Amino acid sequence: MALLSVKNLRIEIKTRAGVAPVIDDLSFDLDAGESLSFVGESGCGKSMTALALMGLLPEGVGSVASGSITFDGEDLTQASEARLRALRGNDISMIFQEPMTSLNPLYTVGEQIAEVLRAHQGLSRKQAWDQAVELLDAVRIPNARARAEDYPFQMSGGQRQRVMIAIALACQPKILIADEPTTALDVTVQAQIFDLLQDMRRQTGSAIILITHDMGAVAEMAERMIVMYAGRKAELGPVDTIIAHPRHPYTAGLISCVPHILSTLTSEREDLVEVPGIVPALQDFGKDLCLFASRCRHAQPKCVNQRPPEIAFGNTHQAACWRAEEL
Amino acid sequence: MKAETLLKVENMTVRFAVKRGRGFGKNAHLHAVDDVSFTVKCGETLAIVGESGSGKTTTALAVARLVNSYKGKVLLGDTDLLALGDEDLRQARARVQFIFQDPYSSLNPRLRASDIVREPMDSLGDMSEAEKSERVDFLFNAVGLRPEQQRLFPHQFSGGQRQRIGIARALATQPELIICDEPVSALDVAVQAQILNLLRKLQKDFGLTYLFISHDLGVVQHMCDSIAVMYMGKIVEHGSRLDIFNAPQHPYTRALLSAVPSVDKARRAQTKRILIPGDPPDPVNLPAGCRFANRCPVVQDICRRDEPELRNGVACHFPNAEL
Repeated sequence: MALLSVKNLRIEIKTRAGVAPVIDDLSFDLDAGESLSFVGESGCGKSMTALALMGLLPEGVGSVASGSITFDGEDLTQASEARLRALRGNDISMIFQEPMTSLNPLYTVGEQIAEVLRAHQGLSRKQAWDQAVELLDAVRIPNARARAEDYPFQMSGGQRQRVMIAIALACQPKILIADEPTTALDVTVQAQIFDLLQDMRRQTGSAIILITHDMGAVAEMAERMIVMYAGRKAELGPVDTIIAHPRHPYTAGLISCVPHILSTLTSEREDLVEVPGIVPALQDFGKDLCLFASRCRHAQPKCVNQRPPEIAFGNTHQAACWRAEEL
Repeated sequence: MKAETLLKVENMTVRFAVKRGRGFGKNAHLHAVDDVSFTVKCGETLAIVGESGSGKTTTALAVARLVNSYKGKVLLGDTDLLALGDEDLRQARARVQFIFQDPYSSLNPRLRASDIVREPMDSLGDMSEAEKSERVDFLFNAVGLRPEQQRLFPHQFSGGQRQRIGIARALATQPELIICDEPVSALDVAVQAQILNLLRKLQKDFGLTYLFISHDLGVVQHMCDSIAVMYMGKIVEHGSRLDIFNAPQHPYTRALLSAVPSVDKARRAQTKRILIPGDPPDPVNLPAGCRFANRCPVVQDICRRDEPELRNGVACHFPNAEL
């Protein structure tokens, strides 16, 4: 059985124009120890999915309208606030995008790591501190015992993100959600963080959900990916299969619109394939049509009349496009 | 392509005074750009790449005289921009224009789009009102905006459209050199492609010369004819696009290239990730010798003693060393 199973999840957000589904009929499974990636442009519901899994949807604005999130046999959408608090940071934890703003500037990083251990595992102050130092060492911060007494402002961006990873992995969670963990960092630091995440995953056996817009990062980090567009799942499948042969035109656009560094560069430089236009506005999200149709070069009349079903290719690969079979 | 040199930067240094300690004694200086020289040919694109803090944006700002240089020369054609006085400088500004990184903060929210594009012509040109209006129409069309959008304010545009306004504004005075400071890094991936294609089309149509600042090597590879790699205020490697990407020599360039994640399976299989541990040195108290020495995988004693000079396009004592 899957570790995490999301079924027909619908998350609604209240806007001035009414209620809009930011996540619309999303289903997927995550196995223990697996690495899954969410890809898409901003405003496509990637981060909302992550917040829903953590039970952290903005109160009074967003809520789960229907569907279920089953973690280890327990439906998180029905769980009490106290139960969620026990799970968060312990069984499911999250790394946020901005390592600058997600640490508390008034506490040393050692205290912030130890806090998690004291809260969830009932360790004493001394034990928790010792383990925090070990964790800092595990995320390869040199001279960990001394650095544990540093405040966040004394560390570089990459080191802060390592501290965030140490906090997230302190209780050896079953699922680690990384929401654009490297967008604020330089490429060489990004490479270090990716290596670290892969190593930690091997050691702790945590499943990783990586949220990103960078196809290169997906190819390097994940086994399976879900392409999100306007709150809906556009395509789901193994990373290699999808990159070799994307079935949804949006996926194809996402891959080819970025200039990639190839193994041997030639003097040829083709124009990039454009995906014209932008993601539709929130009030259009719920409509019964393919929301990508207005930007799609393969669009047909059918696409603007009816929402496309998910067409399966084998057991593992699905794409929500009327023309997926021909593409 | 014409081979004449448009921009020639010679030994440019930019330094900032920083307060250290309690305010006694001499002020320390941070050399954000240290003795940098490069040339850009007419109609071509030079990219300056590097990580945050490497001095690439400061270099761009200094070329446009938006920050003051401490010494050096910036020759645009035959004019040294750094030596110009007030009025001459104002005139010269029409020849160098800037596209900024963040299209959300670089447009005046109180001006209509057409006024934003017109503004450089008001202050730098001597066109009549009718000519200006005509040029605004022409520019809106050239960057792919509709004529009726001229009346709108910046907040009514999406990020990509705002960047198009920024590009139209940069083109307004028919400049010879356009400096693009990370023009797409604030945009969504699909919109990035639209802007990059537009920049290349405009270059072809109007024969523009770009100085292109970016940290994204994929974008640089797509846009440029030659590349300068900066680290801690110095150019460590400078060469043509094919040389830098197919045969990088400096260990830093090679580490940088190996760090870029790729969708190309063949490239992933053949590149070994070169990890450079640690952080760059303190820019105020730079160590003697090569600035990359403390992170370099092939460092030797001489690297910690003597600073390598840029020779044959690379500033390293041991270029092409086995990593």
